Amino acid sequence: MSVREEERRDEEPSDEELVHAGRSGDDSALGTLVKRHHAAAYRVAVSLVGEDDLAQDVVQDAFMKAFKALGGFRGDSSFRTWLLTITANEACGALRRRGRKRETALEDAGPIESQAMGPAEAAAVAQEAGRARQMLERLPEKQRLSVSLRIEEGLSFKEIGEVIGSSEGAARVNYFHGIRRLRELME
Amino acid sequence: MNDELCGTVRELIPDFVCSRLPATDLEVVERHVIDCGECHAELQLAQVILAGRRSPPPELLERLARTIDASRPQPVRTWWAVSAAAVAALALGIGISSDPSAGALISVPGYASEVEEGAIWLSDDGLLAGAPHFDGLSDDALLQLLDELSVGSTGGAA
Repeated sequence: MSVREEERRDEEPSDEELVHAGRSGDDSALGTLVKRHHAAAYRVAVSLVGEDDLAQDVVQDAFMKAFKALGGFRGDSSFRTWLLTITANEACGALRRRGRKRETALEDAGPIESQAMGPAEAAAVAQEAGRARQMLERLPEKQRLSVSLRIEEGLSFKEIGEVIGSSEGAARVNYFHGIRRLRELME
Repeated sequence: MNDELCGTVRELIPDFVCSRLPATDLEVVERHVIDCGECHAELQLAQVILAGRRSPPPELLERLARTIDASRPQPVRTWWAVSAAAVAALALGIGISSDPSAGALISVPGYASEVEEGAIWLSDDGLLAGAPHFDGLSDDALLQLLDELSVGSTGGAA
């Protein structure tokens, strides 16, 4: 998220306010939470299950579970971290149900986000980014998630620990091991 | 290369690439990566990872909206309709107790067709008897019922 996006968000209701409104039956508040967090949930899901269709099912189940349990959400962590934790659990459940077989159909796993740049530069960046994504897929699960949650979603190591079910320290170690391994793979 | 500073900068790199760093930390990273090849390479890797971030398929948002919509509990009758039902029940009682001339009204009211068979029945004087199920009536039917009861009450008072 850019600084400009942060500033714009300052004028919008916070997640906490939306959760409160959602609990009181405000469906539009739930809709805003979905719009705000579905992309991150999708990335976590597809990173774990490796398949677009299944990832979409996982995201849908995660939101439904989160909204049903909204009354019990105590706010110990942010709504975003809580949702991503539910998403990761749902993804692991989906993998268990299909016998732990993770698909790696990378071309089906959503397009790369476009950036504002010239066509030649964009093509070069897209190529390199595609390669990085392929290499990312080769990392062990917790390293992969730690790297993508830290860089793509901007979560702190404490929040990453909550999502992957480990301590803050273990999340940090997983991230730095993942980055080091990625650099080796990219060279 | 300063190991301690490298450690600090590498902790900051993810927030740097997402433009989440305060100005002071931003400057620390920018200055450091000019001279430190290792941290510069790590910064470039983080930028490439961010550039390769997946977008969710556009249909996902629509699908989620549909699912949430479908899971929403059926809307309960609005407060005014409940109030209208209560007024209607009261008016019904007044009509029955004070309007003997209403015995001439034998026709089945229109709203009665919307009520399940057996849920209401006609009394001898042609008005509804028993306990009508107002929950089963549409808003239009409730308004019609109020109109008819209002006419009945006026007639009874005259």
